[in-house]
Amino acid sequence: MAKNLMINGESIDVSDQPEQMPLLWFIRDHLHLTGTKYGCGKALCGACTVLVEGTPTRSCQLPLSVAEGRDITTIEGLVDVNQVIREVWVEQNVAQCGYCQSGQIVAATALLQSNPNPSEQEIESALVGNLCRCGTYSRIKAAIQTAAQRIQQSATEELEGE
Amino acid sequence: MTQPVINLSRRNFLGATGVLVLGTTLRPAFSSTQTNSFNPNLFVTVHPDNRVEIVSHRSEMGQGIRTAIAQIVADEMDADWNDVSVTQALGDARYGDQNTDGSKSIRINLDRLREAGASARQMLMQAAAAKWDVGIDTLTTEEGQVVHLSEKKRVTYGELSSNAATLVPPKNVQLKNRKDFKFIGKAVPHVDASLISEGQGKFGADIRLPNMVVAVVKRPPALGQQATSVNVPEAVKNDSRFVRVEQLDPTPGAPLFFPVGGVAVVASDTYSAMQFSQMIDIEWSTSDNQSFDSRSFQQDLRSMVESDLPTVHQSGDVDAVFNSSEKVIEHTYETAFLSHAPMEPPVALADVSAEGVKVFAPVQDPQNTQLQIVGWLKVPVESVQVNVTLLGGAFGRKSKPDFVLEAVELSKRLSRPVRVQWSRENDLQYDYFHAPSAQLYKASLNQNGLPSAWLQRAAYPSITSTFAPQAKSPADWELDMGFTKTPYLFENQRMEADGLVAGVRIGWLRSVCNIFQAFGANVFVDELAHEAKVDPIDYRLAMWPEKGLITGPAMPTPPGHEFKIERLRNVLNRARKISNWDTGKAEGRNLGVAVHHSFYSYVATVIEVGSGSESSQVKNAWMVMDCGTYINEDTCRAQMEGAVIFALSLAQMSEISIKNGIVEQDNFDSYRLIRMNQPPNIFVDLVESTEAPAGVGEPGVPPVAPALTNAIFAATGVRHRKLPMSMS
Ligand code: FES
Ligand code: FES
Repeated sequence: MAKNLMINGESIDVSDQPEQMPLLWFIRDHLHLTGTKYGCGKALCGACTVLVEGTPTRSCQLPLSVAEGRDITTIEGLVDVNQVIREVWVEQNVAQCGYCQSGQIVAATALLQSNPNPSEQEIESALVGNLCRCGTYSRIKAAIQTAAQRIQQSATEELEGE
Repeated sequence: MTQPVINLSRRNFLGATGVLVLGTTLRPAFSSTQTNSFNPNLFVTVHPDNRVEIVSHRSEMGQGIRTAIAQIVADEMDADWNDVSVTQALGDARYGDQNTDGSKSIRINLDRLREAGASARQMLMQAAAAKWDVGIDTLTTEEGQVVHLSEKKRVTYGELSSNAATLVPPKNVQLKNRKDFKFIGKAVPHVDASLISEGQGKFGADIRLPNMVVAVVKRPPALGQQATSVNVPEAVKNDSRFVRVEQLDPTPGAPLFFPVGGVAVVASDTYSAMQFSQMIDIEWSTSDNQSFDSRSFQQDLRSMVESDLPTVHQSGDVDAVFNSSEKVIEHTYETAFLSHAPMEPPVALADVSAEGVKVFAPVQDPQNTQLQIVGWLKVPVESVQVNVTLLGGAFGRKSKPDFVLEAVELSKRLSRPVRVQWSRENDLQYDYFHAPSAQLYKASLNQNGLPSAWLQRAAYPSITSTFAPQAKSPADWELDMGFTKTPYLFENQRMEADGLVAGVRIGWLRSVCNIFQAFGANVFVDELAHEAKVDPIDYRLAMWPEKGLITGPAMPTPPGHEFKIERLRNVLNRARKISNWDTGKAEGRNLGVAVHHSFYSYVATVIEVGSGSESSQVKNAWMVMDCGTYINEDTCRAQMEGAVIFALSLAQMSEISIKNGIVEQDNFDSYRLIRMNQPPNIFVDLVESTEAPAGVGEPGVPPVAPALTNAIFAATGVRHRKLPMSMS
């Protein structure tokens, strides 16, 4: 029986929810965190991407029973972590309709955490599961590259400052 | 069931000439929540704390309209951009046209929005003049302040708001000179960008109301089928999350904007509604549409264009020239059914109560939505409030509010707020599909290799079937999208067209008939150029006069939006230049070109593909657009980038097929779209222009697919005459 999840640092009791309920619908309908989007329900579009223990995961295919006991971060829980990415996203006007963008940003955040200097191909393969019908792919790629540079720059500056 | 009298055919949207007569000096009936706020017209409110609230009466679906409207009004007002916020309008006839469709928001609103801003500015200056007891001509404005030039006095708009609110709006206003624009034409970041990056943008499914429930509708396998029995298993009935099932019957007649019917499964949350809908058993009546098969339909369209069809335009004697010509070339082009597939599937929240009707939904046309609800429920228009959320993509799908009527009907029956959530499967299977087509082009060539006679035939189901049952032939305005409105006009020419009734709903999708009509024309011209051994850019330029208006059998255009051949030549020449076409060709790079005029804009595309085994890989795309005056430079670029991706999907992989009346694709594994690893480098060149503003969201799409297949021909000698290239 599913009991507790950690979502954005908070322990949440899910014991009265059906075990098979995908995490997506729990966080949208029951926690009212609506940044995570429904796009396909079949792990085919990436709109519902959240981090499970830091790994981008399609929440539409993750039953509560499997999510139990894990540390989950949604787009809302990333605001203190991904300032640089969000800043670049706004500056470069990446989003069009914006619907896929939570998923894109969650995936981008995870990518830069695990690989601070991704090549173009690494970006492509990290985000190939995130569809964007508006076609913002080239801006996403450019934004990730800019964000990577900016993060590294500030890291070097910090080092030099010490 | 009767429906309100509406006339929302595409002809109407496109035929609309210029600005609606809703005066910008009209005082809104709604009063601002804050007293002392200055609210001179429908679009502007200045609050005492200096906040400038600008109303967007058009729907935001990624095309940046909320930002563009704010740019226009704020520019003429001389507002401080940091004080500006955007409020989304309800559906309300006082705004005039709110149908966010046909790439026309700026075209039909630029002047009145400028006036709205300028009139607010003028009144604020008047208020300052009275306050300081000086002549208005000693004053100017600067970033949200009125400034007295010689006395160096300043006052903020907010401080003037209560006084300005007592003034009468001016009859005539002075508009800025173009050179003084501060926001218009600039790359201002979108007003919602920051919220979206935090996951805080509010889309259709993100709104909640107390006591709401969620419905998922099991729709009939083929259109027209009706549930004859519904069996709800005990396991569902006993589940505390189950609310009930409701049968919705299909509405006979033309599809209009009515729901297709089915069985609604209502539950306390989305997951449960989806689960239960899979557990119930439904038996369906039969329907004629069960015999509909897209493959045989496609064959029928193809056979149609192989013989004579009704003539829509004729000049000279085509047949005589063909008979006496040595070289006659003929090819047929085909395109498939397509689905809009916005990333946000249709969704709507409705609350029908004794107090009235409240709707929250991602709709492109809140006024039509309101009218549809009025007709459906037979309630007065004043009692229906349509709130527009952000649209998670739309592409024409969300101008049909069938999904809103479902929510309204269910909320009425259940006497509580109901959200209807479409699944992706529902979205792809119950769309208003983009029409498939067949076109035949035939031309004889003279000694210079140029066409001496030209025949073009088109067959496709018409969007007018949405409005009139069994409507079969393409309408004038459908043909006008690149078939009759064409730069390929000849002394001896015949244009023929007809259609067939499809067993699914047909609707408009981003750039509509331009998609296939630009494809047919641009690929055929490429074939002729190849035949004539002339460069395809030179070949087009040789066919066209240097200057002048293109009319032919095209429909009349609004003033300022005439089709000028010199503008088409210009984008083509610029595409040649920025793609290094001539050196590229000489070096053996695989380049293809196409150019098209649609929504009064001019776009030329050059595509480069790889060689050998990489010939289906799109390396580079160059887009040159002349859309006249534009508002947001970066939005224009973004729309061109998006258009390339949208068009590459339909050119390379997306196809809807139908068997026994049932759509065979049901998710993104079968309805394929371009992904992150597939797009080319995209280079956009925008023509600076003082011409009237034209479309931006749609005109980038049409030239991409033909440029691609022309490039593949250059690479391989293989001609793709069907879209998608993978057509089954
Ligand atoms: S909704 Fe989960 S991947 Fe599409
Ligand atoms: S921004 Fe609209 S789907 Fe990606």
